[in-house]
Amino acid sequence: MDRRDFFKTMLATPLLTPLILASTKSQNGLELYLIAEEAQKFIPTLLEEAQKYSISESRKFCFLNPHPQEKPLIKILLDRGWTLIKRPVEANLTLSFSHLQGKALPSFTLVKDGRIWDIRTRKLLSLWQEMNRIYSHSSYLTIASFKSRLTDFSVGKYVTVYNHGLQAETLSLGKDLTKSFQARGGRIVVHIKDGKAWISESPCRHKICLYSPPVSLAGERIICAPNNFLLTIEGRRSIDTVIG
Amino acid sequence: MSCGGREKWQTSTLLVFDTLCEIKVFCSSSVLRSAQEEVEGIFSEIESLFSPEAEDYASPMVLDLYTKALQVYHDSDRCFDITVGPLSRLWGFLSKSYHIPSSGQIESTLKMIGMEKLKVKDGTLTLPPGMKLDWGAIAKGFAIDLASQVLIEMGISSGFLNAGGDLYCWGKNPDNQDWNIGIKHPRERGYFGILTISRLGAATTGDYQRYFIRDGIRYHHVFDPGSGYPARGRQSVTVCGPETVLCDALSTALFVSKTPEKIMEKYPEYGAIIVDSDGDISVIGKAYPFRPVE
Repeated sequence: MDRRDFFKTMLATPLLTPLILASTKSQNGLELYLIAEEAQKFIPTLLEEAQKYSISESRKFCFLNPHPQEKPLIKILLDRGWTLIKRPVEANLTLSFSHLQGKALPSFTLVKDGRIWDIRTRKLLSLWQEMNRIYSHSSYLTIASFKSRLTDFSVGKYVTVYNHGLQAETLSLGKDLTKSFQARGGRIVVHIKDGKAWISESPCRHKICLYSPPVSLAGERIICAPNNFLLTIEGRRSIDTVIG
Repeated sequence: MSCGGREKWQTSTLLVFDTLCEIKVFCSSSVLRSAQEEVEGIFSEIESLFSPEAEDYASPMVLDLYTKALQVYHDSDRCFDITVGPLSRLWGFLSKSYHIPSSGQIESTLKMIGMEKLKVKDGTLTLPPGMKLDWGAIAKGFAIDLASQVLIEMGISSGFLNAGGDLYCWGKNPDNQDWNIGIKHPRERGYFGILTISRLGAATTGDYQRYFIRDGIRYHHVFDPGSGYPARGRQSVTVCGPETVLCDALSTALFVSKTPEKIMEKYPEYGAIIVDSDGDISVIGKAYPFRPVE
């Protein structure tokens, strides 16, 4: 299967389309896609190649969801000097698994910094030929994602205040100040100091907004629901909103 | 609807269900005003039909949501149950005067729990005496779906509605990409991971949303309908899928269930991100683009 056919198969699979889109827009992402029944036979060699493009030397890995070859994969990666850990946030490499909706010819590719890289050069070409010789089709997709250098948290530059349901003001986090707003139930006082914003006075009953810690990272918010009052930190957006 | 004026990204907030609903849409200012009115109208109607005091059990909307709730009730082996209202009241979550009930009180309250006790007769939902419905784990998702659908029908090509734990997003974000939705960290500031989605809903149930602590133990508002006590073993569960109403109900079901994979087998279009009581993250069901952050 050539690279074009590989991606045609991938993009025709509804499950995978969002994965591809996600990886192609990750600015510092590095992801290896492998279609093969026995991922453990190919992953170690492919990871060696992929790690040449990674910025981290760390060799901690974990699984994001159950993998049909989890045991042999763990064994072979441990043999190659990787350490299995439980927390994805601490892992340099996360492995996830999906079933393809149909069967496809075995193949692999690398997606780095939003670009698709054909890594079938020299020894990997022979690996690719070998997997196509052994298996005719596979419905197993293994995705190996390397952690990117940049943290997803970014320090905000501004705080936007929403009052009465509308944007009231955008204030710089670079300048210390105290400002009052006339909200639905009375006066709300917003403080900005040392790049952090918080609410220090509110007429609401439960004072949850007063107990909220100061916010400074892009996407962080303080909400005073009874007063329909919201502070949200603006910055280099890695997220559009937060749930939970 | 034709758009009067220039289209641009606009954000507004609404106070609904005692929470702040964030609306971000790409449209003109005049369309935004209509959108706000529509969303407010839908949420007011849902709030009046599904508040703890509401008793209009003949409304088609109530019967529609009851049917969806009953489906998840059966599919989750009763881990999701809208009849847990008496438990919320017993533990003081309705009055906010929290306390730990005696085991005897819990036992007798459990007799009033169970959706099989509800009946639909002559187009009306009927409850045995003493039973009380709690739509809190499904109504917000229902409202988000209805409101989003109206905004899409108004011609708004991109946007999201976020009512705290429940969200629906469609179209593209201001960077012309799918939406990046941070999932709140259950114990720390900020978020622990990012879902990258569009034309999908998402909902989170967490033990940090409403709780009290006694003798170092956290007692939260997500009850196990089998034991009558707050469910243990999870800090948060986020579900992503086509309908926010099901995301909402499933996030509660998975929070309570000891076998969440079994539930997800019945919902192949849905995926879940589970943070267990040790803070470990696992992903089950359909694999939507999710990446944990440092």
